Amino acid sequence: MATQAIVAMESNFLVPNGTFFVELFAFAIMVWILAKFVIPPINKAMTARQEAIRQQFADLDQAKTEAHEAEEEFRSQIADARHEAARIREEAREQGAAIIAEMREQAQAEAQRIVEHAHTQIEADRKAAVTSLRNEVGTLATTLAGRIVGESLDDEARQSRVVDRFLADLDSTRTSGVN
Amino acid sequence: MNGLLLPLATTNIEIGKHTTVTVGGMTFNVDTIISTFVAGAIVLILGFWARSALTKKNPSHVPTKIQLLWETIVGEVNKQVEDNLGRVHPFVVPLAVALFFFILIANWLELLPTEINHDLHLLPAPTADTNLTYAMAIMAMVGVWIYGIREKGARGYFRHFIEPFPVLLPLNILEELTKPITLALRLFGNIFAGGIMLALIGLIPFYASWLPNLVWKLFDMFIGGIQAFIFALLTVLYFGMAGAGHGEHEEHEADSHDNTPELAH
Repeated sequence: MATQAIVAMESNFLVPNGTFFVELFAFAIMVWILAKFVIPPINKAMTARQEAIRQQFADLDQAKTEAHEAEEEFRSQIADARHEAARIREEAREQGAAIIAEMREQAQAEAQRIVEHAHTQIEADRKAAVTSLRNEVGTLATTLAGRIVGESLDDEARQSRVVDRFLADLDSTRTSGVN
Repeated sequence: MNGLLLPLATTNIEIGKHTTVTVGGMTFNVDTIISTFVAGAIVLILGFWARSALTKKNPSHVPTKIQLLWETIVGEVNKQVEDNLGRVHPFVVPLAVALFFFILIANWLELLPTEINHDLHLLPAPTADTNLTYAMAIMAMVGVWIYGIREKGARGYFRHFIEPFPVLLPLNILEELTKPITLALRLFGNIFAGGIMLALIGLIPFYASWLPNLVWKLFDMFIGGIQAFIFALLTVLYFGMAGAGHGEHEEHEADSHDNTPELAH
């Protein structure tokens, strides 16, 4: 009976036989080896690589942000420098203009001063000349006239009268001449 | 020897035939076991290759190709598990990754021919033997049940069998039993059928068989990938369902069961 049953089982390939246990054992061993020695390092490597990539992306982002910030700062510094330069230039121009104006004013004042001085001088000279003329022309004229007339015109009163008349004539002639 | 014969009169294609050894009253399909070990060894070699690439000092931090392959699969599984379970579970992820890689390699083993245009393959796909598919499905489902009980407590887990109505108890039990069986038989059926197709194509005279052979093997590779993906994905989904209860009524339970994990769907 038992032998017949085994034979009948052997003939049906859908019914498992002793091979089943070998296969089960072999497969279990294989799963165990894979679980113990192969899968963990693979998982570890994948995790590590993912982590590394994530880290690199994070670094990249940070570097990008920093670069942006640096660029921003650079730009603002450039703008500041431009403003500063413009301001300095403007200031220099104003200062230059102020200096020129001041110099011009000084020069004008100086010129004015010189002119006035010259006028005063001229006036003084003229006065001195007139005075000297008044003094010397009288003497000279009377001396000359005295020589010509042969009469001493040393009389003070006469002398001065003569001179005054002469001068008055001179003045009137000049005035009419000019007119 | 004990295999079924196809109803093709002149052919001798035997399906479900295995080289067997009987030890202590138990029969062992030697060819399946050998190809299982080959597929498992390939997966482990790929895995340790990636591990060595990972642990090596790599100054440029550029991952190698094998590393990228594993990282893609593990990353996708992590995402699925996190979406369905709410977190990256330390058992579910290796299980799903192992299921995917192992089923994929096992399915593709069948594509290696012994000789051109011969129906025999160098190694039969171990997934074309129900012993392996049952073993993987049982392992996945036992894991699902343990996970469900751990997440919700024994009472909380078994209570969902009588929800939403106690009348549905038989259906719920049936559903829970159907899950491993469908997992196992879906994979088995697809790959087994692929092997039969290769055998049938092998019957075509050699001057004509190269085109269907080529086309079918390409398609079979695609099927192998899809089946590996489906098995792993469904396992993750079953874990998610076990942790969360069925459908939408886990929202009401969230108040009474404070250990209910947050749900992604």
